[in-house]
Amino acid sequence: MNTSVTRNASAVFTYGFLGLMAFLSVFPFIWMVLGATNSSIDIIKGNLLPGEALATNVGNFFTLVNVPLVFWNSAKVTILATVLTLAVSSLAGYGFEMFRSRQRERVYRVMLLTLMIPFAALMIPLFIMMGKSGLINTHLAVVLPSIGSAFVIFYFRQSTKAFPSELRDAAKVDGLKEWQIFLFIYVPVMRSTYAAAFIIVFMTAWNNYLWPLIVLQSNETKTITLVISSLASAYYPDYGVVMVGTILATLPTLAVFFFMQRQFVQGMLGSVK
Amino acid sequence: MDILARAYLPRIAGLALASASFLAVTAAEAKEITIWCWDPNFNVAIMKEAGARYTKKHADVTFNVVDFAKTDVEQKLQTGLASGTADALPDIVLIEDYGAQKYLQSFPGAFAPLSGTVDYSGFAPYKVEVMTLDGQVYGMPFDSGVTGLYYRKDYLEQAGFKPEDMQNLTWDRFIEIGRQVETKTGKKMMGLDPNDAGLVRIMMQSAGQWYFDKEGKTNITGNAALKAALETVGKIMQADIYKAANGWSDWVGTFTSGDVATVMAGVWITGTVKAQPDQAGKWGVAPIPTLGIEGATHASNLGGSSWYVLESSAEKAEAIDFLNEIYAKDIDFYQKILQERGAVGSLLAARGGAAYEAADPFFGGEKVWQNFSDWLAKVPSVNYGVFTNEADLAVTAQLPALTQGMPVDEALKAIESEISGQIQ
Amino acid sequence: MAHARRGGIGRYYDVNGWLFVAPALGLIALFMIYPILWSLWMSFQSGRGMMMKFAGFANIVRLWNDPVFIKALTNTMTYFVVQVPIMILLALILASLLNNPRLVGRGLFRTAIFLPCVTSLVAYSVLFKGMFAPDGIVNSTLQAIGIIASPIPWLTNAFWAKTLVIIAITWRWTGYNMIFYLAALQNIDKSIYEVARIDGVPAWARFTHITIPLLKPVILFTTVISTIGTLQLFDEVYNLTEGKGGPSNATLTLSLYIYNLTFRFMPNFGYAATVSYVIVVLVALLAFVQFFAARERDR
Repeated sequence: MNTSVTRNASAVFTYGFLGLMAFLSVFPFIWMVLGATNSSIDIIKGNLLPGEALATNVGNFFTLVNVPLVFWNSAKVTILATVLTLAVSSLAGYGFEMFRSRQRERVYRVMLLTLMIPFAALMIPLFIMMGKSGLINTHLAVVLPSIGSAFVIFYFRQSTKAFPSELRDAAKVDGLKEWQIFLFIYVPVMRSTYAAAFIIVFMTAWNNYLWPLIVLQSNETKTITLVISSLASAYYPDYGVVMVGTILATLPTLAVFFFMQRQFVQGMLGSVK
Repeated sequence: MDILARAYLPRIAGLALASASFLAVTAAEAKEITIWCWDPNFNVAIMKEAGARYTKKHADVTFNVVDFAKTDVEQKLQTGLASGTADALPDIVLIEDYGAQKYLQSFPGAFAPLSGTVDYSGFAPYKVEVMTLDGQVYGMPFDSGVTGLYYRKDYLEQAGFKPEDMQNLTWDRFIEIGRQVETKTGKKMMGLDPNDAGLVRIMMQSAGQWYFDKEGKTNITGNAALKAALETVGKIMQADIYKAANGWSDWVGTFTSGDVATVMAGVWITGTVKAQPDQAGKWGVAPIPTLGIEGATHASNLGGSSWYVLESSAEKAEAIDFLNEIYAKDIDFYQKILQERGAVGSLLAARGGAAYEAADPFFGGEKVWQNFSDWLAKVPSVNYGVFTNEADLAVTAQLPALTQGMPVDEALKAIESEISGQIQ
Repeated sequence: MAHARRGGIGRYYDVNGWLFVAPALGLIALFMIYPILWSLWMSFQSGRGMMMKFAGFANIVRLWNDPVFIKALTNTMTYFVVQVPIMILLALILASLLNNPRLVGRGLFRTAIFLPCVTSLVAYSVLFKGMFAPDGIVNSTLQAIGIIASPIPWLTNAFWAKTLVIIAITWRWTGYNMIFYLAALQNIDKSIYEVARIDGVPAWARFTHITIPLLKPVILFTTVISTIGTLQLFDEVYNLTEGKGGPSNATLTLSLYIYNLTFRFMPNFGYAATVSYVIVVLVALLAFVQFFAARERDR
């Protein structure tokens, strides 16, 4: 009797608390969607009812912004960054874990220290470097500095600890070269790790703001994040249009998350084992 | 025809063809001038109009007007200049007057002097002064930030005030009116962003002072105008006749939504005020109130900006010629941008045009442009120096304490100490 | 196979090892190490824009006499001290509640709470700015249900502005940390909890005596990552306060101050570089302290 009361009370607490947290987490998304249907003034005034301005807002967004081009730019930068980061970092993570040596451990530790470097400290030197190599206003300049990521390497190395070394030994016996073992055995086995890393890197690249803002100079190279920021800080910002923009900018990352949710959690498992 | 000829002839022909087309290309080579500016309804649209006018006469020159947020333009310009890489920069850039000296002094040689080409005597002197360094004048004066007091006639009438009552105000009277407006209509008198020192700057310059003196030395503790301005802002905040706003768009929202009775800003705000068609006929414009100190006037300035040509520009000559032809000579252009965009240029000759005489139905048929033009001539000239942004932050840092009754002299001391920590 | 042996096989092993890590190391050296050393060199210079000259330790001396820097440092530390523990604790509680296999709607809750992580920092800052506007949805809701009488001045009052920044970061990152804990909890043997429950250990004690100790390595990892993130805080404050860090510098962070010194103020790249090294030193110190504390408790 008594225990069932406590159990009920704790169930109420559990569901109440989780429900509240879930609501608070999702509410801004609901507000964003409702906002897209309202006029700018109604948004600022905190209107919570669906309005009738959706068509106008979408129309205005498409006239103000060259949507296909902006999305193409974002997609290009993101995919390039993601593919290269995954390739380079998984190679390194595998290398550090599978071929241990005292020197490489030292190098690895120094490399982890780069996690502490704030981007603000790199900005000016990086920009001068890009300027000297004629890469300003190119998407390559956006991508290059992000490929060598200590965080993703760390993540791959941690996950590699779970990679069964019998597989590698067996492959060696079969006469496979190191790069073949990596490509044909490690990569397929570690699919879920790649999937999780893919999500993290994809989101970071898609949402990247400060560095693209500095290196991308023309309207032809702008990405969606830059467009939202400049719409929101315009002289007369139209919040309805801004909402349409934030929805469109969030959709791809949302889609990737929903399609790969399972792999995501699986991959996470690998990183903390 | 032998093998030799067969092998060489096409090549020779090709070469001739290539050089011919090369010549043709140079003759009609389209020169593209890239321009950075920030407001799609204002300076971007105006620059596009200017470009179209120039291209009509010079078919070989086209324009690429790039529209970024204002902070983005400033940040990109500063990064580009710092990196020393010319290809990151446009040919022409818009710079707000407060920042002009900062760029000119920090990056010597980065901007092209226009002294030889442009006749600066035709422009409002205070605009020219802002862009002068060591006897050279850089830049093409563009819009003026001459200030006005925009007020809702309907709200004020409800509170018992006629348009005549809004003329020649002092700030104390303004606050008094504000109190009555709130009791009678429930509306606040004005929107105020406590993170923006704009109002302080308007008041200070209206009495002919700035954060810095003519030599560029900090002028804080002995600055009577700044002291009076801070006192006044403190009174406004204590009287609680304002609606607090967070940031620019929020501030704009205070009057576009009809929540406040007045707006104090540069003439460039006209376009935003007029963007609410349902408020047509309800607005009037009066001169800004005056501080009760020596040298106080009803005229001041907020913002305003000018065009600068980058020395590194590949199309420098064309860019300068373009600015000179349109912005220094085309009177008709100024009429058009005034009527369509509410841009009060600083070319004095343009003020004789018909557009300035026109009555604006949005303002109930008042000849607002003529008024702004008259006030423009009375704006006291000050030296913006190179540290206005730093000083602004120091001032806004003290505003909350001021509202809570901190003596103004103490606030001035705190501002002075923060600024001197910043400008080393 | 802890270290390479001499001879053919050892060299083969070593060469392969370097080949695998070379591309990443090359990129990191070029785009992280080289620029950060360049910054170090700049921090000993001072001047306006491109006119820099050697200044020795003048920038470091200047730090101590710069009230705005002190303010930015205090703010950043406040965020760190207040926000990181709140977020970690919240994420831990959520993870242990969601770890219950009998919970109905588990996947739904988990997805909902993780959802904020998919938004970009710019997008959610813009959203929050709108939601927390003076007449915005948050104030009007709180007023409607009678929690507050007059609107909270979210971004015009020093205390509330800091609070809002903390709310915003917590909203964005709690789910992210929670996923790490959830993943780690999957590895804990469920029978430990069953035994504890049968023995009558209350839920809170199970949490503090089983969950937290077992998750310690993950908690350490997420704390370090959050610390680094908080000390580099920029996008949110920049987009919430129109780049000013107001009111009266109440939300100014070190990264935003560096940005201001570089792009808003009279550009002084040397001094900006010096401030950026303050972050580097702080992060390093805190990471060491956290690792040390974790190790001490292990004994």
